[in-house]
Amino acid sequence: MLGPIEIEVIRNALNAAAAEMDVTVWRTSRSTIVRELLDYSTAVFDAEGWNLAQSARIPGHLNSMSHALREILANFVPSGQWHEGDVVVTNDPYCGGQHLPDIIAYKPVFHEGRRIAFVGTLCHHIDVGGLAAGSYAAKATEIFQEGLRIPPLKILDRGIRNEGVWAMIRQNIRKPDLLLGDLSSQLASLDVGAAALLRLARRFGAEAMIEAGARILDMSEAGMRAAIARMPDGTYEFTDFLDDDGIDLGQPIRLHVAVTIQGDLASVDLSGCSPQVAGPTNATLASTNAAVMFALMCCADSSLHMSAGCYRPITVIAPEGLVVNARHPAPVAHRVAVTHRLLGTMNGALHQAVPELIPAAYYGNSYVTTFQTVAETREVLVEIEIGGSGAHPSKDGVNAYASGMHNNSNIPIEMIEAQLPLTILRYGLREGSGGEGKFRGGLGLAREWRIDSPRCFFTANMDRFDHAPYGLAGGGPAAVGKLVLRRDGVESPIPPKTDNLPLRKGDVVRLETSGGGGFGPAAERPTAAKAHDEEMRYL
Amino acid sequence: MEQRPVRIAVDIGGTFTDLQIFDARQGRVVAWKTPTTPADPSEGLLVGVRESAERFGFALADVGLLLHGTTIATNAVLERKLARGVLLTTAGFEDVLEITRHFRRDLYGLAPDPFPCLIGRNLRFGVPERVRADGSVELPLGDLAPVLEKLKAAKPEAIAIGLLHAYANPAHELALAEAVGAALPGIPISLSSEISPEIREYERLSTTVLNAVLMPVVQNYLARLETRLGEGGFSPRIFLVQSNGGMCSLARAAAQPARLLLSGPSGGALAAERLSRRLARPNLVAVDMGGTSFDVSVVQDHRIGLVTQGEVDRLPVRLPMVEMRTIGAGGGSIAAVDASGRLTAGPRSAGARPGPVCYGRGGTLPTVTDANAVLGRLDPDFFLGGAMALDIGAARHAVAEHVGAPLALNVEAAAEGVLRVTNVQLASAVRLSLFEKGLDPRDFSLLSFGGAGGLHATDVADELGITEVILPREPGTLSAYGILFSELVQDLARSRLLRAEPDALPEIEAAIATLREEAVARLVADGVPEDQRATEISADLRYHGQAFELLVPWPEAPDLPALLARFHETHRARFSYAAEEEKVEIVTLRMSAIGRLPKPAETSGTAADKPATPGSRKVSQGGVAAPWPVWRREALHASDVVQGPAIVEEAFATHVISAGWQARLDPEGALIARRTA
Repeated sequence: MLGPIEIEVIRNALNAAAAEMDVTVWRTSRSTIVRELLDYSTAVFDAEGWNLAQSARIPGHLNSMSHALREILANFVPSGQWHEGDVVVTNDPYCGGQHLPDIIAYKPVFHEGRRIAFVGTLCHHIDVGGLAAGSYAAKATEIFQEGLRIPPLKILDRGIRNEGVWAMIRQNIRKPDLLLGDLSSQLASLDVGAAALLRLARRFGAEAMIEAGARILDMSEAGMRAAIARMPDGTYEFTDFLDDDGIDLGQPIRLHVAVTIQGDLASVDLSGCSPQVAGPTNATLASTNAAVMFALMCCADSSLHMSAGCYRPITVIAPEGLVVNARHPAPVAHRVAVTHRLLGTMNGALHQAVPELIPAAYYGNSYVTTFQTVAETREVLVEIEIGGSGAHPSKDGVNAYASGMHNNSNIPIEMIEAQLPLTILRYGLREGSGGEGKFRGGLGLAREWRIDSPRCFFTANMDRFDHAPYGLAGGGPAAVGKLVLRRDGVESPIPPKTDNLPLRKGDVVRLETSGGGGFGPAAERPTAAKAHDEEMRYL
Repeated sequence: MEQRPVRIAVDIGGTFTDLQIFDARQGRVVAWKTPTTPADPSEGLLVGVRESAERFGFALADVGLLLHGTTIATNAVLERKLARGVLLTTAGFEDVLEITRHFRRDLYGLAPDPFPCLIGRNLRFGVPERVRADGSVELPLGDLAPVLEKLKAAKPEAIAIGLLHAYANPAHELALAEAVGAALPGIPISLSSEISPEIREYERLSTTVLNAVLMPVVQNYLARLETRLGEGGFSPRIFLVQSNGGMCSLARAAAQPARLLLSGPSGGALAAERLSRRLARPNLVAVDMGGTSFDVSVVQDHRIGLVTQGEVDRLPVRLPMVEMRTIGAGGGSIAAVDASGRLTAGPRSAGARPGPVCYGRGGTLPTVTDANAVLGRLDPDFFLGGAMALDIGAARHAVAEHVGAPLALNVEAAAEGVLRVTNVQLASAVRLSLFEKGLDPRDFSLLSFGGAGGLHATDVADELGITEVILPREPGTLSAYGILFSELVQDLARSRLLRAEPDALPEIEAAIATLREEAVARLVADGVPEDQRATEISADLRYHGQAFELLVPWPEAPDLPALLARFHETHRARFSYAAEEEKVEIVTLRMSAIGRLPKPAETSGTAADKPATPGSRKVSQGGVAAPWPVWRREALHASDVVQGPAIVEEAFATHVISAGWQARLDPEGALIARRTA
């Protein structure tokens, strides 16, 4: 029986392993989406696939990876078929994944003849084929259009590369050197993580590792229960909308939650959400669960160790066939929009339970833009922009702050211009985009791209163009987004869900993103704060 | 170059100003400490110099060199005592400084604070112009009259100029600086193409803006310092410690104060490098543990590592600095048990005020120091050389209440738990520092210093599988000791994306020639004679498509195959793979201009003339309180063997030699502990 101190020693080492894996991906990856946008995550799991430790990357990934691994163990690669040196990958949302650009790789770790853990790395790859470069098509109507699907399979089999799979991937994607380079980074990070766990196992033994894992999960569960117990019992409901699915234009998609707090348990009923939609604004359970868990985990003490133990006191009710639990072969590329909105909806409900904790809505959206430039070569740029964070009950929102389900960096303008025939004409805060209130919402952004290649295909997949980020407690909503084409001096709107819009040299695309909602009545805003807003021209 | 016999190194910390004095006439290094005078640190500096002149018998006129480490720039940033700055940048990009790289560090936090931004939106002005990535001009510098009007109206005390792609072509920045200089004479101007001429606009802007708003602050300080010269014949040549561990002249520091920003830990790292040679230990991992932080640096093959970017208060500073990992763990770190039953030590700290409970200054939450005190590892009557008595009872009460009760452990077990959790965190930081370079802790000795370092050193070494711990003499003034033996170093860099292939060689050679010319010019300006000049070339390389570069030394320049071989080898060591068939890019070429300062021939440390007799004190471990021998460090003789478990005490530090370890004095005066079982 390990004491509380040994548990702490092991927990620390597991965190360090996830951090070492993180550094490995960061430093070795190739594509701008992984290396500059930082769209990847690393984590450590127990022998049954429960998440034990996470890197500080993307909450939407981190809290889906346990789900995917458990799904693989249950239905695709049974427990007994994992061997030393294996690496199993998948990107299939219908096998536990989220959407096709995210390739997840898992490696088992063995010690004293038994499996003691898994390590896992998820990268958002720049392109996995399909009908639009970047594999973020806005108009797909079935998953077969969204790119190459990799069912759970061994890309390394007892240490031997499954060359057929590598060749198959290479043949079906637009930027094979970038994807396979990033995939190599994933495999390198798994090696690093496995080595770190073995170091630990040699010291404590397999039995202690397994016991420590169980105890870490129990402790996270206790911390999560304590956080839920602080919320008053009751059922809290909230509704918000996605604009549409890109196919049935103007038809809002309803997200509704009913959060029931009873003692130290939470039950989240999503039965009131819209049926799944024709376009790719659908989510599978891996995505949906991640959003619900994340919302509640944010309400816990800042010292809470984030692990799968946090999920235990939370029940999610999400009937199949809804937008939050789509049935095969629904397209799901834009699942992130569902998770952003679901998180916002959860927060709207939780505001009623713990009003002192919950901020107003953030921009609630990953502004995904893909440029495929066509000159002598074809290059792909995927950018994911952000907006402003929601005002908090005690302070203003933050201008241009990666919030909620994702956590992306921007790509340096100079890096883009050094590598692609694109010129950024403007990158700035968007005045007046934050919601009014006693506390103002953070500002969104404006970014302009000019096409310098003879031809370019532009794909956009974004939301919050009709339904604004909400304010709370009397605070105002933020501005909605705007996407505009400027050609020969004439501006025209680009639909926010657009595939392969043909652009030519000299065309300019301008994106304006939402800010965050305001908190409290604007009439209560202090004079000094208003004067500061004026001086900084934030309004 | 310098005939006067005395050289002084000064390291000005928050509480004390540490001096190390070398007098060539005796070949001896001595140390002195005096309180820091925060309002004007140069005052305390002069007091320290005068006191040590009296104490050690030299005349102020004998001092030829003053090597000065200072946190004045860092403190000015942390306290926001900065000049009113204006930023001029390419029109359309005025907000890049405020947008930052915009990812968050606290994933689950609901109440974020903005990243700091040192120049507000009202003082950032756009300039019509555009340079492209290849250095060509797309839009020539336009009419400047409107922006100059705004600039005048803003009444700036400092001006930063940062234009897109200025690293590739600085012409617009230079022309703009000329126009601004003519319109607002006397206001200091910082150009991004001079401060940090490298790709990635936010990092370059951040560094340039920091430089700009620091210029008046640092220039004021240096002016005050200079007015103190001449008193009593005191007129040494003065050099300042930079973040890269090298010295620079006053003129350089005044023009590029950002180079001082991360110099705080430089002295310790330099000392580690120096000791690595004197003790013949090529591989050292140096750890400096004080009240609030734990700094890790790595000496490999007798050299400290440099990185090309650091940060201060979440603001990137993209200038070469000593590679240093800092975590918020120190003697003042607060131990707590959360709702899930998790025991944590830090990152909250009791700091200097109120400090640990046992200091009796009003602290009520148990700290790492309190845990050490509870277990008897600290002498309640001889703390800080007897300057402070420790309240052990209060420490026991706090540990029992906040750690013992929630975990159902007795007070000693709880205190030991706090230490174990702390040691694991320290060890994780060390392991990550080594891991990032593909290094194995077992190939290293642990060099431990700082007030709290010795209490944890052997236990941290055990966590890491390190079998030798070095506790240097005078751990309290070690930074000043490192500074005493440093060199003049100026770093130059040029960013230009180049394929590392033979057809790029003419361009590479031309770039190296330009850098070398500039390097020599700077050394000449600093008065370094030709036979003491050296240059070192390195390159930042990556595989085509990667975002992060590896800094690879290139002594064989311009031999490309040699460079590539080093790159593949380094990549494999750090990241477990190399891709030799793939294209490699040069992102930045770097040149260090080195002016060698004559190295004093230092005599060895002194030991006592007869074997020591240890005292003893009861220390708790594993539930047993047993008497441990307690040695006085000054009394140790070369023949003494400190068999762990034991304690070695000196004026400003206490060292624990754990069971299974054995320590002896090295001829250099360092206490060296080895794992014996």
